[in-house]
Amino acid sequence: MPQFLTNKRLIILLGSIIILVALIGFSIRDRENITWPEKFVKDVTGFGQNIISKPVSAIEEFFDNVGRLRNTYEENEKLRTHLDKLAQLESDVTRLEKDNVELRKLLEKEDSLADYEPVQATVIARNPDRWYDLITIDQGESNGIEPDMAVMTASGLIGKVKNTSKFTSTVQLLSSNDAQNRVSALIQSDKSNYGLIEGYDDEKRMLKMTKIPSDAKVEKGQFVTTSGLGGVFPKGLVIGKVMELVPDEFGLTQTALVEPAASFYDLEHVMVSKRTMTKVLPEEDNRQQVLIEEEGL
Amino acid sequence: MKKGLLPLLMIALFYSDSVFMLFFPENVFDGAYVPAPHFFIIGLLFMSVFYDRNTAIKYGFLFGFLFDLFYTELLGAYLFFLPLIVYITSKLTKWLQSTFVIFFIIILFDIALFEMIVYGLNLLVQRTEVSFEPFVSMRLYPTLALNALYYILFAIPLRNAFQKFKNKFG
Repeated sequence: MPQFLTNKRLIILLGSIIILVALIGFSIRDRENITWPEKFVKDVTGFGQNIISKPVSAIEEFFDNVGRLRNTYEENEKLRTHLDKLAQLESDVTRLEKDNVELRKLLEKEDSLADYEPVQATVIARNPDRWYDLITIDQGESNGIEPDMAVMTASGLIGKVKNTSKFTSTVQLLSSNDAQNRVSALIQSDKSNYGLIEGYDDEKRMLKMTKIPSDAKVEKGQFVTTSGLGGVFPKGLVIGKVMELVPDEFGLTQTALVEPAASFYDLEHVMVSKRTMTKVLPEEDNRQQVLIEEEGL
Repeated sequence: MKKGLLPLLMIALFYSDSVFMLFFPENVFDGAYVPAPHFFIIGLLFMSVFYDRNTAIKYGFLFGFLFDLFYTELLGAYLFFLPLIVYITSKLTKWLQSTFVIFFIIILFDIALFEMIVYGLNLLVQRTEVSFEPFVSMRLYPTLALNALYYILFAIPLRNAFQKFKNKFG
C-alpha cells in the first residue's frame, strides 16, 4: 500500500510539472489577445476588484486632498506666475492649430499621426507580484479599447494595453522588462533623431532608448516623444528627457538613458489613446515618413 | 455565522494584496526597495494550520489560478506553488509545535521559498534580468519585513477567525 501511495504521488507530481510547463508556455506565447475563458475570468475578478478598489480610492483621495490643503498658499503663488504666461501661450496654440488645419487642407492631408481620442480610465489593480509591471484599468472592449493602444497620464506615456476583456484591460508599463515592448520615439531638436524605447534600467530607473544614429547630436535635457511611426501610438506623446548618452557595444548606434516624464508609481487616473488614423502605413505620402526614419537609422 | 463567510474572508484577502499595491506610497523608497505583499499566502497558511489542510490546498489552487490569470499573467506559477507551500507548511507544523513564534518563522521561510521559486521562474521566461544578489537585497529582505509586519499585526485576528470557522463547521 505505501508503495502505491508513493507511485500515486509521483504521478501527480510529474503530471503537474507537465501541466505547469504547458501553461507557462501558453501564457508567454506572443499572442494578440487573450482567449475567451481568460476574458471571462478577468471580467468576474475585475468586477470584484472594482467593488473593493473604488471606495478605498475615494478614501485615499480624500486624505490626499486634506494633505494638499496645507500648502495651498504656496501653490497658488506659483500658479499665478504661470497664469500670466498661459494667456499668451493659449492664443499662440489656437493660432498655430488653426494654421495647421488650414495648411493641412491645402496639402489635402487631413489625418495626422498625432490625432487621437482619449478615453479616461481608473486604475483598479496593480500586479502585487511585482515582477512584471502590469496594471488593470476599469475600461475594456465595451468602451472601444483594443490591445496595443497607448496609455498615459497627464505627464506622459506610461505603457500600452496588453490585453482586453469586456470591462477591464491590462496595461503593461514601460518599466516592465519585455523584449517585445518597443516604442518608436524621437528626440526633439532642430533635426529630429529617431530611436526605439526598449527596456528599462532597474537600478537607475530610466528608460533605454536605443538605435540612435551615432552621428546624431543629442544633448542632455532634450525631450523624447513618441514618433507615431510604430504604427500603433499617436505621434507626440511625451515620454521623458534625455539624461545620458552612451555608444552601444559596436559603436554603430548610440543609446540614451531617458528619465520618464510620468511616474510609474501611484497611478490612479490614466488615459488610453485611441489613434484615429489607420494602424498600418500603406499610403504613399506616409511611406515617406518611414523612409525618413530609415535614413536616420 | 454562515458558511459563506469563509470564502468571503479569502476573497477579501485575495484582493487585499493588489489594493495594498495601489496605495502603497512607493515614493518613500524611490523604488530602491521592492517589497511585495503576500497577505493572501499568509491567510492561506493560517487556514491550513488552524482550519483544514485539504480545504486550504483547494483554495490555493482556485485563488492561485485567479492570481495567475488576473494579476501576473504567467499561468501556472501561483496555481501550483501555492498548494505546494501549503503542503510543506502542514508537514513542518506536524514536526514543530505551532506556537506563534515558530509559526512566524515557518511563514517567513515559506514566503522566502515562494519568492525564490517565482524569481527562478521569471528568470527562466526572461521577465526579469535581475541577478541573485540584487534580488535578495532589493526584494527578498523588504518583502520579508513587510510580511513580518503584517503577521505581527494580524496573526491573532486571523487565528481566531479560522478557529471559529473550525468550531462552527470543521
